[in-house]
Amino acid sequence: MIAYLVRRLMWLVPTLIGITLVVFAVMAASPGGISAAALVEGQNLEPEAKKALTDYYNRRYGLDQPAAVQYLRWLNQISPLGWEPDANGTLSGLPTLKRPDLGVSFRYGRPVIELLAERLPVTLLLNLFSIPLIYLGAIAIGVRAAERAGGRFDQVTSLTLLTLWSAPPMLVGVLLIGLFASSDALSWFPTGGLSQRQALDAPFWPVTESLTSWLLLWLLPLGTMAAAVTLGRSGRWHWGKCHPVVSALLGLALGLIAVRLFVPVTNPGFFADRLWHLVLPVVTLAYGGLAFLAKLTRATLLEQLASDYARTARAKGVPPEQILWHHLFRNALLPLITVASSLLPSLIAGSVIVETLFSLDGMGKLAVEAVQARDRELILALTLLSGFLTLVGYLLADLAYAIADPRIRYE
Amino acid sequence: MSSHRWLLRFAFGWLALLATIAAWAPLLANSFPLLVCYEEGCQFPAFRLFSAVDLLWLTGWGVAVLLWRVRWLWTIRVVVACVALLVAAGIGSQLEPPALVVHESWRTHLTAQPAQRVLWAPIPYGPRDYLRDFGSTALEPPLAAAPQRWHWLGTDDQGADLAARLIHASRIALSIGLIATGVALAIGVVVGATMGYFAGWVDLIGMRLVEIFEAIPTLFLLLTFVAFFERSLPLMMVIIGLTSWPGYARYTRAEFLRLRRIEFVQGAIAAGLPLTSILFRHMLPNAVAPLAVAAAFGVASAILAESTLSFLGLGLVDEPSWGQALNQAVKAAAFNWWLALFPGLAILLTVLAYNLLGEALRDALDPRYREGVGV
Repeated sequence: MIAYLVRRLMWLVPTLIGITLVVFAVMAASPGGISAAALVEGQNLEPEAKKALTDYYNRRYGLDQPAAVQYLRWLNQISPLGWEPDANGTLSGLPTLKRPDLGVSFRYGRPVIELLAERLPVTLLLNLFSIPLIYLGAIAIGVRAAERAGGRFDQVTSLTLLTLWSAPPMLVGVLLIGLFASSDALSWFPTGGLSQRQALDAPFWPVTESLTSWLLLWLLPLGTMAAAVTLGRSGRWHWGKCHPVVSALLGLALGLIAVRLFVPVTNPGFFADRLWHLVLPVVTLAYGGLAFLAKLTRATLLEQLASDYARTARAKGVPPEQILWHHLFRNALLPLITVASSLLPSLIAGSVIVETLFSLDGMGKLAVEAVQARDRELILALTLLSGFLTLVGYLLADLAYAIADPRIRYE
Repeated sequence: MSSHRWLLRFAFGWLALLATIAAWAPLLANSFPLLVCYEEGCQFPAFRLFSAVDLLWLTGWGVAVLLWRVRWLWTIRVVVACVALLVAAGIGSQLEPPALVVHESWRTHLTAQPAQRVLWAPIPYGPRDYLRDFGSTALEPPLAAAPQRWHWLGTDDQGADLAARLIHASRIALSIGLIATGVALAIGVVVGATMGYFAGWVDLIGMRLVEIFEAIPTLFLLLTFVAFFERSLPLMMVIIGLTSWPGYARYTRAEFLRLRRIEFVQGAIAAGLPLTSILFRHMLPNAVAPLAVAAAFGVASAILAESTLSFLGLGLVDEPSWGQALNQAVKAAAFNWWLALFPGLAILLTVLAYNLLGEALRDALDPRYREGVGV
């Protein structure tokens, strides 16, 4: 297992070099390319200032050198083992251990690593909320639809999921902003950004005036959640039993609305404010993957339900709940794990749209800004990072597969 | 799946409607009248603006309708279609549409000198007609200026009629979807066929290449491409094609690895057939099923890719596009719902139609989905 992991991690390096090489080649092959002239072009400057800026870019980033040399220098710059450039930018002597350096952004004039450290957490935060939401929602919907395939729930969801899967994230995001955030309609949520200005100085948890309202603040959502779960399990819901996850979420939403309406809160605090800002972006990022995975869950579960071992289990009298969760679910999970590896790149791409739409300063928005400014260092670093995240996602999916499926052993 | 049959019918219907709208776009939405009659004689101003592209679209549409109705051999149909398109291209290259069009010229001309007979297009505004002669017309909701001007879907932030823009944008969406997928298929099939047929180290290197292209987020590579190259329609098609071939290569490779061991391929090799004949005449037809399914979904994602780029402001310059119209709905402080709803619906329905097509193909071609298990 360890040997397999090490081998896979070592394979990352050539693939990452390949990825950056492709992106670099695209930049170098373009008309104008990555020369200082293309960077300076369009700026309203005196000829002397233009010349000075061109010379500066050439001296600082070596943009007057052939593309191949530029790429090799960049590789040397980011690798932990290599040559340290001297004052003139020439490399000589033997390679040594050095600090890997992602360079300095042309556009921002700041070290790329600093920019990434600022922007990456935002994208990760979005994905951290989206991925569990996608999986929980997809499994809840998919399992229910497959249990009673052809039923009313199945018919309604299959068409809804198909539509959601085809809906472009731009449309959904724009509609969500328009309906729930714009001042013309319901302004329940902010139109963009990650926090209100005041919330940055506020305490982390909500502040209330009295102890009773503080207690209510915490107990009300928990209470409604518990009540919803019990009600959902009891089957007194008008369309039969409700999945615990779904009823818990419904109860939580109800509780939060009740808190918002009835509990006097002096300061909502940083945490609540952040969550409030994340609702619309996370929904926009998650709905597509959720629809796709729910369809997949339904299809794989139906396939498993029709299999021989499920029939045997039914024949010997195992209760349906136990067949579903004990026998079938683990097998039905395998395609979901495989898909996880392709979900990550699509989430990174999705965050480009979501971050632009909701003006969140994350990696996706940085990518758009970087390509618009032809910022070589930033583009290469972002490619490296997103490629790395994608490949690590593949690796994690493979490991999760081995855990879920005992037949698979990595030697 | 029988319960989904009406959905499939809807998909075909929508795509046919869209193709018709796209082909007839210059006659459906045009600032110039179709026919103007004075005492001296009649003119056809809208037809003066016809370019080679317009002619090709109309010919293509006509040929498609004709060949759908008649029952000829497929080879004859293909030959007829090719000849018709070539003739149209030949005539089209002789057309000389004016480089600079003053959209309001006929409107002002006709108010000054009323004609005996005028026939306007159903939507009497062109996609790039910013209605300068009416003053500021930006961001009007549908039918806001109704008695004077009929903007069925409102106007965009430049003051152009949204319906006209959406009608002309359907051309870009349709052609990008089909041609980009064609490019991706061509690259994917050639790479995948080489990998699958030769196996061994060719396969090993090829798979690394496929992995590299799969690990770059597609949208990211697309952004880099469009930011660094000039923005034109053919280039956009090639670029979207270039970024979406790895899936097809994977499918082709898997099928070819299976096929190369089967007797008919061994027979073709033993008979000394040329390589291209073995690969593309004998092996490829047996690998078409997964490719057809992937291509249908591929068209949907190519259309999405184009509208995403336009939405991000990296699309074609000064060309109408569904994604770009969507972008304007949020740019202004207020919510311009008509700029979100109509272009959004156009993208949604088109993508949905191609996805439905893909699912139907998969249900029909993949035995695992045959017993009504389909997603």
